[in-house]
Amino acid sequence: MSVNETTEAGSGLRLDTLSLGYGNRMVVEGLDLKIPSRAFTVLLGRNGSGKSTVLRACAGLLKPKGGAVLLAGKPLSRFGARECARRIAILPQGPAAPEGLTVSDLVRQGRYPHRSLFSRWSRADEEAVKEALELTGMADLREQPLENLSGGQRQRAWIAMSLAQQTEILLLDEPTTFLDLAHQAEVMRLITTLVKSRGKTVIAVLHDVNQAARHADHIVMFKAGKLVQQGPPNIIMTREHVRCVFDIDPEIVHDAKTNAKFILS
Amino acid sequence: MTSLHVVLAAALLSVPALLLASLALGDQTVSRADLRSLFNGSATEQIRMIVLDLRLPRALMALAAGVALGIAGAIAQAVMRNPLAEPGILGINAGAALAGGLVIVGLKGAGAALLPVAGFAGATLMAAAVFALSWRNGTSSLRIVLIGIALGSLAGAGSSFLIAFADVADVQRLMIWLSGSVYAASWETLRRLAAWLVLPVVLACLAVRQLDLMRFGDDIAASLGQRVNLGRAFLILLCTTISGATVAACGLIGFIGLIAPHVARNMVGEGHVRLIPGSALVGGLLLMAADLVGRTAIAPAQLPAGIVTALIGAPFLGYLLWRRRHVGQ
Repeated sequence: MSVNETTEAGSGLRLDTLSLGYGNRMVVEGLDLKIPSRAFTVLLGRNGSGKSTVLRACAGLLKPKGGAVLLAGKPLSRFGARECARRIAILPQGPAAPEGLTVSDLVRQGRYPHRSLFSRWSRADEEAVKEALELTGMADLREQPLENLSGGQRQRAWIAMSLAQQTEILLLDEPTTFLDLAHQAEVMRLITTLVKSRGKTVIAVLHDVNQAARHADHIVMFKAGKLVQQGPPNIIMTREHVRCVFDIDPEIVHDAKTNAKFILS
Repeated sequence: MTSLHVVLAAALLSVPALLLASLALGDQTVSRADLRSLFNGSATEQIRMIVLDLRLPRALMALAAGVALGIAGAIAQAVMRNPLAEPGILGINAGAALAGGLVIVGLKGAGAALLPVAGFAGATLMAAAVFALSWRNGTSSLRIVLIGIALGSLAGAGSSFLIAFADVADVQRLMIWLSGSVYAASWETLRRLAAWLVLPVVLACLAVRQLDLMRFGDDIAASLGQRVNLGRAFLILLCTTISGATVAACGLIGFIGLIAPHVARNMVGEGHVRLIPGSALVGGLLLMAADLVGRTAIAPAQLPAGIVTALIGAPFLGYLLWRRRHVGQ
């Protein structure tokens, strides 16, 4: 085993012949996948292709029907619930908060897995909340009720909650859906910062192929519960792959300035 | 000193004030001089009996039961994630009524003495049944609410059926118990209720963070490391023991569990670290006030406290619905 592999096993997430489903209906069968650490991975695919299901399983929210999700080489099910939540944070799609909470009430919830039954609110908790609010640009809005925020601000508040969890791995389910272009760009910039300067591993389900092509380090394409293709965007964003996964016949345009590919459908 | 402090101070001061009023007012008014005479030992036998053996345990019983119902209500609303939830949704009231009907009809006159035990057993069995039936690879708040309502109406139909066959005098005894009253309070019943409540109330205070998180829904709660099903089972157990003990002690007192948390929320906000004590305080005050009104409003006749709380509670429920009329549009 090379040195590189050992360090990767230290924090990495790997899916080992993973099968997932709801009731008797199987969504994903025998999936093998290694998520690159300290990189931004995007899961792509049409609705119902199983990408959100895989994401939920990666956070331990869905128990595998077969195989396992391995964190640092150990199945997730062997981690305690709190231990798991200290290492992996997930923001589900369209999360809903109870009425009457402020931004800071929400973000403080992120400290739940770090606190024991009798421990008081600590300095470390306060620091984590402060950092999360600053990273997401929500510090000035911390006393605002969530109901008063715009969609983009609310999404950033939820991301701040996940950041306050201080996990190595952050999973986001369609973090940009329902946001206008400016807010989408903001969320993407935030993800890039988290990966590049904080060394976090971020996995996101995105619907916008171009967003994925432009920002992701690694893309995983799903179709009907099967992994179709994976790799860096510049290599796998080909006409055939996009046609196969999304059932469209696209034009691929290469933008020399950002060295990114764009898909015109 | 913020307005929050003022409200809290007022609420806290209302406890001794209401307690004193409960001791002084009633069929026979006890004067201030008579109350003072209790402290220096010069009180007459009659005053001692009225105040110390009748009114004091009764007022304290109302306080304790109200505290318990307020806490149980706050737990129910968090676990059910529904502002209109109350312990009754878990089938507690219907179960107690059905069990009460069974002993009354089954044992005739002898059943009346068993009402508290039957009430507690019926309440807990019903809550257990609701929880078990809503289990399908785990529970969900919505399934618990729906099954609670369904089983509740089933049990309601059952008790109506039983009542139709019971002796009129027994039915009257059952109805008085069902309407919820603290008139039968004694130091003995008060001690028993308090002993039952200590542990679950302490545990409820320790579970404030779990309660806060539970309101976010299963996915968020689980992603933050909460064992959702275990937590929900535990909190429902707490809620059932607390309200079951109150049912055993004073029958069915409705609406306190619904109203107290809402009033408390307006006073202290959403966080359970304040909401649990707040609901306890408001619940205790409400039930003490309800009992005081019930036994003075049309004296010498007495209205059971449960009827007074329903008289306040029903309009309040309407107000809640009216205030939330824009939610979900």
